[in-house]
Amino acid sequence: MKRKDGFIVRQIADQNVAVAVGEASRTFRGMIKLNDTGLMIWNLLEDDITENGIVAALTERYEVDDETARADVRRFIAVLAEAGIVE
Amino acid sequence: MFCIKIAELTVGIDNRYRHAEHLCRDYICHGEPSFCVRVTDDEISAEMAAASSEVTPDYAESICIYRTICKTLPEYGAFLLHASVVECDGLSYAFAAASGTGKSTHTALWLRHFGERARIINGDKPILRFDGDRVLVCGTPWCGKEGYNVNAESPLHALCFLERGDKNEIAPIDSGEAVMRIFPQILLPTDEAAVDRLFALIDRMLRQIPCYLLRCTVSDEAVRVAYNGMKGN
Repeated sequence: MKRKDGFIVRQIADQNVAVAVGEASRTFRGMIKLNDTGLMIWNLLEDDITENGIVAALTERYEVDDETARADVRRFIAVLAEAGIVE
Repeated sequence: MFCIKIAELTVGIDNRYRHAEHLCRDYICHGEPSFCVRVTDDEISAEMAAASSEVTPDYAESICIYRTICKTLPEYGAFLLHASVVECDGLSYAFAAASGTGKSTHTALWLRHFGERARIINGDKPILRFDGDRVLVCGTPWCGKEGYNVNAESPLHALCFLERGDKNEIAPIDSGEAVMRIFPQILLPTDEAAVDRLFALIDRMLRQIPCYLLRCTVSDEAVRVAYNGMKGN
């Protein structure tokens, strides 16, 4: 899976937030707040990657077991899919 | 074509219907505009089609004019905040909430409670700008259905997000939560440079202004809880 084009991440009040610009802003209005893990997953989705690939990257970077990381990834991807951001 | 002064800016308005000029009558000025706005028939038609109730072309034009102005404001260091702002003893309190929550109802209660000590700077669509370490709420003719607006500027003392509750309670929120809550109340641009300009202004405001969450009923006690919770910061 991969993130669609047309989203930018900016810092505002020390929070990372993603918003749509240009064409993407016609279908996505609003923002998504990204915590550290969210930002990492977001960045990984810049290029085509599998769920396993993301989970592996998370368990390598953070002190987290595979099962917990997978649950987090699924929850976050579900949010992005719901918003039409990943395909 | 006429000019208005809002947020210390002279704005030219090239209108085709007379409603806009009538709406802006207390803000008319003369001089060289910082920028001019003009809306097309297509924009007016689109606004009429998108409106939740039936609106006339002259009303739709005035809405489009303000949207265009507000999209431009960040280039001049100012921005629109969807909120009802009440001033009390010379300091302003901005109440933001989803439409229909009752922010205008709440600020009207302040007028009743404080009498001549209070006034509504703008009931729905004020502009915010900066003056050194102060954030100023600026009057504008566009102000929601009650028509509460004054052509004045007032220092913003606190920003309060309002929710309905069974009892009255107020608590400070951190800027992270404030970011989430403020997003639905701003006009989010669709190009990258404009996003950066607006975000810089909101970031600056959130660093300067304390934010609160008020859960309240429609009551005089709600006013006392809100005011006592925010006045002392």
